[in-house]
Amino acid sequence: MLRSVFGKTLWDQRRVLASWSIGVTAVGLLYAVFYPTINTPEMADVLDSFPTGFLDAIGFTDVFSAAGYVGSTTFGLLGPALIIIMGAALGGSAIAGEETSGRLDLILAHPISRWSVTLQRFAALVVGMAAAAALLFVGLVAISDLAQLGEIGVANLAAASLHLALLGIFFGALALAVGAATGRPGLVYATVAIVGVGSFLGNNLGPTIEGLAWLRDISPFHYYAGGMPLRHGLQLVDAVVLFVASLVLVVAGGLLFDRRDVAV
Amino acid sequence: MSDVIRTEALTKMYGKRRGLAGLDLEVRAGEVYGFLGPNGAGKTTTIRILLDLIRPTSGRASVFGESPRAGGPALRRRLGYLPGDFTVSGNQTTRQLLTHLGFLRGGVPASRIADLAERFDLDVSARIGSLSKGNRQKIGVVQAFMHEPELLILDEPTIGLDPLIQQRFLELVAQARTAGQTVFMSSHVLSEVQQSADRVGIVRDGRLVAVEAVETLRRRAVRRVLVQFDDPIPAEAFRDVDGVSHVEIHDTQLRCRLAGRADGLLKAVARFPVAEITVEDPDLEELFFAYYRGEEANDAA
Repeated sequence: MLRSVFGKTLWDQRRVLASWSIGVTAVGLLYAVFYPTINTPEMADVLDSFPTGFLDAIGFTDVFSAAGYVGSTTFGLLGPALIIIMGAALGGSAIAGEETSGRLDLILAHPISRWSVTLQRFAALVVGMAAAAALLFVGLVAISDLAQLGEIGVANLAAASLHLALLGIFFGALALAVGAATGRPGLVYATVAIVGVGSFLGNNLGPTIEGLAWLRDISPFHYYAGGMPLRHGLQLVDAVVLFVASLVLVVAGGLLFDRRDVAV
Repeated sequence: MSDVIRTEALTKMYGKRRGLAGLDLEVRAGEVYGFLGPNGAGKTTTIRILLDLIRPTSGRASVFGESPRAGGPALRRRLGYLPGDFTVSGNQTTRQLLTHLGFLRGGVPASRIADLAERFDLDVSARIGSLSKGNRQKIGVVQAFMHEPELLILDEPTIGLDPLIQQRFLELVAQARTAGQTVFMSSHVLSEVQQSADRVGIVRDGRLVAVEAVETLRRRAVRRVLVQFDDPIPAEAFRDVDGVSHVEIHDTQLRCRLAGRADGLLKAVARFPVAEITVEDPDLEELFFAYYRGEEANDAA
């Protein structure tokens, strides 16, 4: 673990990663176990009373099937929200956070390039996101019978978890890139918040507004959930788009990082 | 190529603020070079340019004949660096940190780490977060020296170290010098560099204002001296003593400044019963003025 920046980063973050993974999983499962209580005629009346525009905005659709329910809750709202905040925290600390605390000087004075530090920190972020999503997946499979989620199927749960990891990787890469380019944690969190909320709304509401349908096409949420992995399994093209976009962000951040001064 | 470090008209602006204003520096292979200047003079800026942490606004810097940027990781492999503010995560043990940094350096034998830790009385199994500032600084010193680099760049290395450990540090510097390593260390205290350095460069307002052999500087340094006698002393007793100026006598107390050799003053003092004597470290600002006065005197002659 101590041989590389990649290993050391994971080692240093072991507690943080465990906390995030447990948090994401706990919240995700808490939602999922309520499916049997939602799937009733009474709830249908309640939901009918909401304006459809509102339900679209928060991504609630077809909540009476298991896939629809879990897709709208665990994978629709809080799961992504948590994984994005996790991405901002991990990606932001990777370079900007280390720099502000004065720890980056020592590493960069070693025989290692800024590129290498950037890529190794990104690799650690990918592993962290994979761990959180994997734990959520295992948890969902474990409660599948109890929560009557059997119709979704293990493969589709795995696909949705993978998509969630990729969403986290994308926003983690965004945070890492902004941090690498500027060294300013405040700017990192502001950017992730704006892009996160903007792309969530853009994906859900864009198509309902004339002339703004294109918003959906540039929203990472579209590539995360648009293909409904809980129903249709892994959406290979969408997954690749998310990962390639993440790589592009990291490379852009690395380029700017290599050119600038490191703050004291 | 005998210059290990060389800068020409090195300039660094932080926005409108000046960091360096045309610094010309030459550090020769195998010497211990003290880089002396008050806080904010540009010492850390110079050092961070040499490590490619920041880039100069204009001018040139080279280390082993290569620009720090072009030299990249291969160049930094030959360096050891102690940052002015040595900050690492507290949530690890000293051994874990040093092992990790050793791997980044291509591997440092565990015995070497253990040996250095012992010399500095450092418990490598303790969590760094639980250590005092002085003990953390020791870790910084150990990581800079542990891979026996050709060039050591040390930014205010003895800050926070107690006198005994400072002495150990100076021994380490002397050993490095014997082994042919070059040492470039910054300080704002003359006494710190004069014990170990061969030459001293004085930096002020982003420029190198003087380079001297340590011996020359020591001769020029002005110290404040305070002597407490048992009995009142005559007012004229310290007139015309070699190297002594600014004499003030109040009853049983003498205050004066001493430049260069102490012999004249000591013999003058010894004529009376002495209760206490205090000699302060030379003040850098006064050293500069002494230096400038010296230059002017030479010009006039």
